[in-house]
Amino acid sequence: MKIQITENLDVDVEARQWCCHHCGTSLGSADTNYKQGCLVAAREPDEVWQPHVDEQVTFSYHRDWCRLVEFYCPGCQWLVEVEVLPPGHPITHDIELDLDQLTGPVEGAR
Amino acid sequence: MTVQTHEVDEHLRVTPITISPSTMIEWTKPEPLSPLVRRCVESLEPGDYEIYDEKLRNFLEEAREVFVRSGVTGMLRAGDLIVAVYTANGDLANASAGTYLHCVTAVLPVKFVMHKYFTNPSVGVRDGDIFYANEARYGGIHNPDQMAFMPVFHEGELIAWVAALTHNPETGAIEPGGMPVMARSRHDEGMKLTPIKVGEDFRIRDDMLDMMANFTSRAPRMQAIDVRARITGADRLRRRIVELAADRGNDFVRGLLAKLIIEAEDATRRRISRWRDGVYRSSAFIDTIGPKSVLVRGTLAATKQGSEITFDFTGTSPENDGPYNCFPHIVAAHAAVTMYAFQFHDLPVSNGALAPFNWVVPEGTIFNANPDAAISSSPMVNSLTVSVVQQVFARMMFSSEDRDQVTGNICCQPCAPLVAGPNQYGVPLAEVDSAILNTDGHGARGDRDGVDAYGFAYGHATRAPDTEDTELEQQFLRLYFRLRADSAGAGTHRGGMGTETALCIWNVPFAVWTVYAMSSYLPVTLGVFGGYPAASAPGISVHGTDVLEKLRRGDADIPRDSVELATRKAISGDYVFEHSNRPVRPALEGDIIVATTGGGGGYGDPLARDPELVARDLRDQAVTEWTACHVHHVVVDPQTFAVDENATNAEREKAREQRRSRGKSWDEFHADWEQLKPPEPVLEYFGSWPEGVRETPLARF
Repeated sequence: MKIQITENLDVDVEARQWCCHHCGTSLGSADTNYKQGCLVAAREPDEVWQPHVDEQVTFSYHRDWCRLVEFYCPGCQWLVEVEVLPPGHPITHDIELDLDQLTGPVEGAR
Repeated sequence: MTVQTHEVDEHLRVTPITISPSTMIEWTKPEPLSPLVRRCVESLEPGDYEIYDEKLRNFLEEAREVFVRSGVTGMLRAGDLIVAVYTANGDLANASAGTYLHCVTAVLPVKFVMHKYFTNPSVGVRDGDIFYANEARYGGIHNPDQMAFMPVFHEGELIAWVAALTHNPETGAIEPGGMPVMARSRHDEGMKLTPIKVGEDFRIRDDMLDMMANFTSRAPRMQAIDVRARITGADRLRRRIVELAADRGNDFVRGLLAKLIIEAEDATRRRISRWRDGVYRSSAFIDTIGPKSVLVRGTLAATKQGSEITFDFTGTSPENDGPYNCFPHIVAAHAAVTMYAFQFHDLPVSNGALAPFNWVVPEGTIFNANPDAAISSSPMVNSLTVSVVQQVFARMMFSSEDRDQVTGNICCQPCAPLVAGPNQYGVPLAEVDSAILNTDGHGARGDRDGVDAYGFAYGHATRAPDTEDTELEQQFLRLYFRLRADSAGAGTHRGGMGTETALCIWNVPFAVWTVYAMSSYLPVTLGVFGGYPAASAPGISVHGTDVLEKLRRGDADIPRDSVELATRKAISGDYVFEHSNRPVRPALEGDIIVATTGGGGGYGDPLARDPELVARDLRDQAVTEWTACHVHHVVVDPQTFAVDENATNAEREKAREQRRSRGKSWDEFHADWEQLKPPEPVLEYFGSWPEGVRETPLARF
């Protein structure tokens, strides 16, 4: 049985695996960070926000301050999640589910 | 019902705490029910709660309207306020609020008065008393937020409290505007009133009004009028509660107010219980502490178990010697902005909803600073709280029937320009431009785009005042005020657009100005599930301009937006490009100040956005051709806005291939990533890298 946890992530309850919601590709053990099973890329802010002036502020963000760290499904390249991080900052383990509770009934859960 | 004396004492009792800025948060938990109040709740008849809950809401709405109509400041007119009713021992029962911030913090001064002064013969609490407070140490947000509160007596018994609170944009600090960017300690921040009695026998004391006007001598008129407005609003509510008690009895009022708190707690716990147990984490960053552009982090680990949630902010940056600090109850207030507006939006606005929450806010961080710290920009630093709380709730709630409440971040990068000095009528004024402040973008949802220019980052139900009214009162003319293209976070669904304005100093020979803002170098308004953050806020101003001559001539090249202003430079003058958070400085007539609000965060992969929606956005100038091409990879005819479906499919396939080629495995990525680090000046206030632990002592004088 798969339970949808976010727009892009399922958990296969029996296999205790993260899966891409769109193509089903396994993203690793649900005991760990699903981001470890993704393709990861750090992008420059100017790739997403157009700089309009060559000044201290540009209308985009500053590469000394941040990168967009993108996590792609290795199966379908769906953008599973994005983090804005200062360069070199540790990646966030954003979802750490109680897997034992996940198998039990939760009133109101989809 | 016969009331025993000892029972009356118990239902007025407030749980004793150590009074300090770091412990006031403990009073956000509801007080235990006394036997008297329990019996009052049990004595409610079927239908009483449902009918009189609605009646109470009507009282609150009426008092709010009276409050707004009695005052003058832009923030009040925008709805940055609360009118609230409390139990006799200070728990919030319900409120009419434009911002939910004060649903948390306005509880605390009431409890403080009951705790410290109720039995103190030198102060006491009597029918007709009027109390006032604006000191964050005793429960407020920051000292511009001022609160009037009154006990409600009927037949000699204290049965409730009422309060009215709004922001006053002048406090007598070292800079005009109440949020001095250059403040280094609390002693730079102006008037701070501990909970104090300012009136008796239903009359405001003139000596107290004179004292406040003296503190705020840059703009005494605003202070004097809005103090009366707060008291007028609170008193209207007090009268209605007294009428209710006269109609149904004191025990009925006690029971009704307590029932609201009980119902809110029960419903909150039921809702939390249907979310998945686990630990949910988020980190967000801002790029200023006021005097300096530096990196600051807010970190949250939310542990959800059963019907309880613990918010642990360990890992948040050390406190600093600017005004970007606060105390734990202020963090809770900013968390509540999200909670009352989304997760528990349909429940009574009571602190029953806070009962299931536990707080870990380490001392020495920006969220639990030294009592002497400057905290006047506490709403600015709590952009971090608003951001990370939304992020953890999005992940916690998605797998439940509450999925519809999941959004990308509502904009949490406030932008408040303030202009001070005599206005065109010679009246001293220090006023925020509430029009631009209240036009942030809302977050995108799973099924639709965010609302454009919905309101204020922390005000779920505030609105921009009439812009022409602001031009009449204030010292500026707007060259433009419009939705800002590309300001929203991209996604399958985009955030709501923010706005932009250019304020031209007008009809006065000079003024001083400041802008409270952030997110010039990195974003704090985040997307979810692949949605992108909101756009950067550049700080732009132009000095010594020829705009007055151009306007007189009727030149056709007056810029229509900030990109046009900055790139074409049709107005001659000295252009300044800097961080958007700008300390006070002078301006002459004709100088131009650009201010931009943020859009909302995006939701989902931008590559999955319906190409027709991208074409619509292009037509509506919500996005530029650059973004349609580089972010959404949609091919649109810029003249007809027709989508080329085949070309779009090909571009998107190419974009997916680029993802395949630039994406690295976790280990490969970290081998490169861990070599990176922001430059040292950026990390001056961050602490150790990347732990964020203070390395050098903080000197504060």
